[in-house]
Amino acid sequence: MGKKKSVVLIILFTIVLVGLLFISVTPTFPVKSPYNFRSLLSIVDLGSDIGGGYSVVYYPEGVISAEQYEGKVAQYEELKGTEDEISDPSVEYAAHGGVYLSQDIMEGEAVSETFLAEFESAYTAVRSRFEGKNFTEYSVKLQDDYTIVVSIPDVSEQESVSTLFNSFSYSGSLLFTDDAGNEMAGTSENIKSAGVVGSGDSGYAIVINFTKAGRAAFSEMTGAMVNSSSSDSSGSSSATMYIRVGDNDLVANGISVTSQLDQDSIYISGSYSTRESAETVACMINSVLDEDAVFTRSLTVGEIYSYGPTMGANAALIAACVIGVAIVAMIVVTLVKYKGMGLAHVYGFLAYALALVLCISLTEGIIVNMAGLVAIVLSAAVMCGFNYYAFRNIRSEFETGKTLTAAIKSGYKKSLALTIDAHIVLFLASLVVYLIALGSAQYMALIFMLGTVLSAACTLAVTRFCFYVFLAQPKNKIAFCNFKREETEDE
Amino acid sequence: MSKLLSKKSLFLCIAIALALIIAGAFIVGLVGYNADSTQRDATVVEISDFAYSSHDETVQKNLADFCRSEIGSKYTVTDYTLLEGQTGGAVLQFVVKGTPDAAFCAALKSAIVGENMAGVSSELVTVSSHVLENAPYYNYIWRTAVAAAVVAVILFVYVAIRFRLGMGVAVLIAAVHDVLVMLALVAIVRLPAGVSLAGVAVFGLLLSAVVNMFVFGRMRRDFRTEEFKDKAAREAVAQSLSASKGLVLGLSVALIVVAVVLGVIGAVIGTDLTFFMIAALISVLLSAYSSLLLAPSLYAVIKEKSDAARAEKAKYNYSSDKKKDKSAKAVEPAGETL
Repeated sequence: MGKKKSVVLIILFTIVLVGLLFISVTPTFPVKSPYNFRSLLSIVDLGSDIGGGYSVVYYPEGVISAEQYEGKVAQYEELKGTEDEISDPSVEYAAHGGVYLSQDIMEGEAVSETFLAEFESAYTAVRSRFEGKNFTEYSVKLQDDYTIVVSIPDVSEQESVSTLFNSFSYSGSLLFTDDAGNEMAGTSENIKSAGVVGSGDSGYAIVINFTKAGRAAFSEMTGAMVNSSSSDSSGSSSATMYIRVGDNDLVANGISVTSQLDQDSIYISGSYSTRESAETVACMINSVLDEDAVFTRSLTVGEIYSYGPTMGANAALIAACVIGVAIVAMIVVTLVKYKGMGLAHVYGFLAYALALVLCISLTEGIIVNMAGLVAIVLSAAVMCGFNYYAFRNIRSEFETGKTLTAAIKSGYKKSLALTIDAHIVLFLASLVVYLIALGSAQYMALIFMLGTVLSAACTLAVTRFCFYVFLAQPKNKIAFCNFKREETEDE
Repeated sequence: MSKLLSKKSLFLCIAIALALIIAGAFIVGLVGYNADSTQRDATVVEISDFAYSSHDETVQKNLADFCRSEIGSKYTVTDYTLLEGQTGGAVLQFVVKGTPDAAFCAALKSAIVGENMAGVSSELVTVSSHVLENAPYYNYIWRTAVAAAVVAVILFVYVAIRFRLGMGVAVLIAAVHDVLVMLALVAIVRLPAGVSLAGVAVFGLLLSAVVNMFVFGRMRRDFRTEEFKDKAAREAVAQSLSASKGLVLGLSVALIVVAVVLGVIGAVIGTDLTFFMIAALISVLLSAYSSLLLAPSLYAVIKEKSDAARAEKAKYNYSSDKKKDKSAKAVEPAGETL
């Protein structure tokens, strides 16, 4: 490669890297009111261990919080002796731990069996709903035996947290209905499953898959809906179908049905701009397909509270700083040890790191938690390891007496098989974990899979390319690579 | 190095690993893992302030400090979380050892109100204690376990095909060893762990795959050269291992440094981070140990046996010649001469 061409390529590559570095790590700053520049790192979604989250308490009907009880006591004291006097809370409620139980759910001193059975169903259903959401980490806890505390990561960027918590409190069975009284039960006999699919420009759609019986029942219901709407006074051939769990609409404002639908699946789109918001509805539908998992006692959603990272305040920032310092140390060691080759490695590594930041921040559905950060560190270590492996091979080839060009060619050839094998194995391993595992391990595998692909690309192509480009510049190429050729006396 | 790869040391390694795994399994079966702060069953004292002390940071801090000292005078406070409401209120949640009753809560409320802090009034503050019981995560754990098992099989099949069958066996055993011993150690030392332990297990598995690939990749290349063809199995494995040792150690040291630094920081900002990093550190140490000692010594034994079998096969079979001669003589009629 010519020197001029090499200089141009180095400058271009450096500009690209600096640009990427700028949009990746620059702190947020105002651009033009009311807009702010946000770096790629700042838009990465974080798990609750390093980014905090939200927590809520579900109170079943007949159980109130200490705050509510004190409110009732204050109201009772205020209205005592007046016309609006309310019943004495101390008579109406019994304390149990930090909550108060209404006499309605008591049988003498103990809680009624009916309430216990209903609450057990509700607890199982709530657990199943949150498990279905596949958060990086979440917790569902029983509080004072009769309330449920749920903590989830901060998903406010993807969907409304209050909608999520409210939706997962719905009690009752799934029902497809309209204003005219046409109905179809959404049980496991009629519906196989619900899922989420991309819907082009309109965001995401919920897909509901019917069983054979469900398809016939749905066709019959939509036919009846269209007929009743065309025969009513409005004369419109469009009917509105509601998907309800108990008395609550899962799809706001209903779904417009213009013709009889005789198909295996229906797609509901239009109001889901993010995958997560559609997933919440799909999870709800899946959770109530089994009639045994349906509960009847209503749950009241307490106040939603936010909490800080469970691994400590600013855990993400501190971890990022530690990784940053480790990268700087690695760069220094590499440059000292391998000089020119090290410079190529630095360019290759920066390309890898910035591409990874780009992928993680822009790929939808990636949540980084501490396990994800560890996966990033491991994938970076793999990338460095295979570059060093290639450099060591080049050095050992050079020591056998080969010319520098031949040593580079031969060194890379020697390391090619293992580099490819290791990356294939790691890619397959992370793919399997991503497809099978759930939660923390799944997100970690996804990040590692991206890291492995980028590591392979940067090790096999970018670093090597950079090395050739840099090698065109120095006069003493051997010294540039930090090699020494032992002089032998020729006769 | 070849001394370390002896059958005796292999036996010792496997015996220790088995003992740890059995002890760990026993503890997990008996009492389970020691849950971290996010998964632990706990008793909490909650101070709910609707006005969150009128949003004055000094008063907020004073309130938190006052509550901590009041609760701490009777119970041991193990953790504190601030839950901030969307309407300006907040809940100060103190995890305590013991079971505070309604009388304690009432006394604490009186003490808070009696302190006359600005913005804190009896109408706005509620004190209650709760017992929290965590729900298990069977689905998460089983799905990750199945994924890890499939990964181990893939690792074995790939290495057995692309490298050698014996290397595949060694890599498989090393991977299973690393994950199981790490989980066992976490259980035995009662290291607090949550759902993220599944992530550490996957990390250990992937790291084990990486470092073992380095070691056996080098061996695959070396064993093809003339220099290694005449060497005894143990010697050849030891010599090849010494060449790849630097890379494995370098990788491990880099990961150890990151884990230690984050672990130390965790001791200051949040102990869950420290516990997570200790588990990760155990994984790194185990994978370095298994790739430099366990897997090579296992492969040395396998190679020794396969080399011996090959040598036996290649040996000229004199006994069969003798048998042939005997049978030929027997065919000849006795006493007949031409």
